[in-house]
Amino acid sequence: MVQKVFIIDDDVAVRDAMGMLLDSEDLPHVGFESADSFLGFYDGNQSGCLVLDIRMPGMTGLELQKVMSKFQSLLPIIFITGHGDIPMAVEAMRHGAFDFLRKPIQEPVLIQRIKQALNVETNLQSRKLTREKLHDRIDSLTHREFQVFEEVAQGHANKAIAVTLDISERTVEVHRAQVMKKLATRSIAEVVRIHIEFELFKQFRNPPRNLLQKP
Amino acid sequence: MNQLREFREVMDSASGQPYERSGVLPSSPNRLETLLQNLPGMAYRCLNRTHWPMDFVSDGCFELCGYHRSEIENQSVLWGDFTHPQDIREVDRKVRLATEQRQPFEVEYRIIAKDGTQKWVWERGRVVDIRHDGVAVLEGFITDITDRKLSEAAYIHANAFAQAVVDSVTEAVITIDNQGHIESFNQAAQGMFAFRSTEVIGDQCRILIRTSNYREFDQFFKHCRDQLDPGNPARPTSIGMETRGNKKTGEFFPVHLTIGPVQDKIETKYVLLIRDLTEQKAAEKEAADQRELLAHADRLNTLGETAGIAHEINQPLTAISMYANSGLSFLDRGPKDLSRAREALNKLSEQAHRAGAIIEHMQKMTRPRDSRHEITNCESLIRDVHKLAEVEAQSRNFVIVLDLPVKIPRVKCDPIQIQQVIFNLLRNGMEAMESCSSRQERRIILSVRVIKDGINKTMADRQISDKQTIEKQIKISIVDKGPGIPTDVGEQLYQPFATTKSSGMGLGLSISRSIISAHHGVLEYANNPSKGATFYFTLPCVSLDALVDQTGE
Repeated sequence: MVQKVFIIDDDVAVRDAMGMLLDSEDLPHVGFESADSFLGFYDGNQSGCLVLDIRMPGMTGLELQKVMSKFQSLLPIIFITGHGDIPMAVEAMRHGAFDFLRKPIQEPVLIQRIKQALNVETNLQSRKLTREKLHDRIDSLTHREFQVFEEVAQGHANKAIAVTLDISERTVEVHRAQVMKKLATRSIAEVVRIHIEFELFKQFRNPPRNLLQKP
Repeated sequence: MNQLREFREVMDSASGQPYERSGVLPSSPNRLETLLQNLPGMAYRCLNRTHWPMDFVSDGCFELCGYHRSEIENQSVLWGDFTHPQDIREVDRKVRLATEQRQPFEVEYRIIAKDGTQKWVWERGRVVDIRHDGVAVLEGFITDITDRKLSEAAYIHANAFAQAVVDSVTEAVITIDNQGHIESFNQAAQGMFAFRSTEVIGDQCRILIRTSNYREFDQFFKHCRDQLDPGNPARPTSIGMETRGNKKTGEFFPVHLTIGPVQDKIETKYVLLIRDLTEQKAAEKEAADQRELLAHADRLNTLGETAGIAHEINQPLTAISMYANSGLSFLDRGPKDLSRAREALNKLSEQAHRAGAIIEHMQKMTRPRDSRHEITNCESLIRDVHKLAEVEAQSRNFVIVLDLPVKIPRVKCDPIQIQQVIFNLLRNGMEAMESCSSRQERRIILSVRVIKDGINKTMADRQISDKQTIEKQIKISIVDKGPGIPTDVGEQLYQPFATTKSSGMGLGLSISRSIISAHHGVLEYANNPSKGATFYFTLPCVSLDALVDQTGE
């Protein structure tokens, strides 16, 4: 999907000028005059980054940031403000803002940060995809297969697993082959790695930016 | 020789010492006569009877009382005749007492001389004999002490005056000896230190100084003793210092004290003059605080006003900068993007003009100027100030709700001043709501209504006035949902420097009110039935014609 820069600023001249600046860098962009109009457009599938004026009539930039975080959006947010007031910057950064720039803006800095933000978003998206893929695979395991998966990941031998689960060793072997197939791995080491990742994943239910969680 | 014996005794009694010991024994009657003539006074012998008839007086009597020796000796006038009537009884009593006890007597009294002048005299005498009929014979000496008495009286008067001065001054006046012991302690000192004079006289004066300042004071006193010399005009007459005084209660307070020397008979004494600086210090502090507050308020005010402007002007500047950058980028990209570069430059220019317009407006707002009343379209005035206040409201997370009637008559006013008043009231409202910390309902209503003048008039009055010119007014209200105004604040709210806010000076309302009265309107407030307060003011509309004409163009 094509990444876009979403410019949200109530000042038409600023929006237009920023659009032109991004044109000159061949960066695709869309402008919005308010947070609400952006939210009317956003469906959770867009990719890119936000350049957000912190003070706007209606919903402010900080409020939009909170809404986006509820959507578990991966879009990095670059805040723009006319008043470089520290509390607001702290608040924005605490909620995971990508950057906080003062007006008037150092254009090269803005361009550089936008490009970095887009890269970050690409990585986040791909990691998210990997996670989702992994999650899907683990979800496809049957209950019994999942039990075997956990036992194998603990490093237990087939015989021990058979005793624990009270099934025959032969059945364990079948389940085990099935787990390896479904998780698309060939080595025990890989199974262990997947398991660790899965555990981590469970542990951090609420990572700061909600980026690692499956919606 | 009988006379000689007598005068020896007279001299004896006059000097209180026998002749022999003085070693000036007269060698002849002539010498004695000379001596008596040169005495500053009069020697006498008389009978202790009514008015003391005298049978001998010395020549000094003429100078003393203006009568010749012969007049007195032949008793055509008696001594008692010119003794002051108010004193004669006392003199008589003392003489009688001394006579009975065979003691010498000593009296001071007044006489009226022959020319009518009053003189003070001093007399010393004693009984020298008792006549066969029991009447005592007195001999003695009388001298004029008028000068001494007058200077004494003057001294007493001066002293009393000085004491009165000392007691009436607000400074503590304390005299101390060379060692610093308190000798006198005036009323102000008693009030200032809560000590009675009897409690401190004889004590070291440094008990009046706070303990921690003892050393400082001792050094100062030593310095004073070294430097001050009442006999030397080249030396200073007093030296002062600031320190802290100590009350009997243990409280301490700032004082200024000066020490000046007084030459007494034996040693140099000092006058300690102490002024309580508590009020002065408090006033100084208050003045400093006030100045600080004013300076702060001024800065805040300027900041507050420019915050809106700064935001406004930052927008075109941001756009300009970005247009310039994109222009450059497009130029770098070669001929195909030249048209875009041109577009960027055109837009840049537009934004530069926008910035200029904002600055011009700002100058209009901030430039001190005379009040200029002009017929004003009230609606655009309100919308302008709303737009301006909206910036601040957003940053404080407030919404300003406009409530305007369809048509608003025009008013004659100074639009900038009225906008300032509205802005001020809106800001007050927001601050009030912030202070009561309720996060719900962050809305302020700015409403305008057209009202008839004289709402309180009776119907009859109104009907009459309806037929004549209808005076209409517009009423602009700012309704907040804050804590409201406590009822006990009342009119005080409009006083300069009255404030309920933790920051701010309390000038806003008083200035606003004076602006509105200069517009022939009134500024009032009322607490809302539900919550918060409403501040409103009225402005008279231009005329009936303007009312009908409306705000057309």
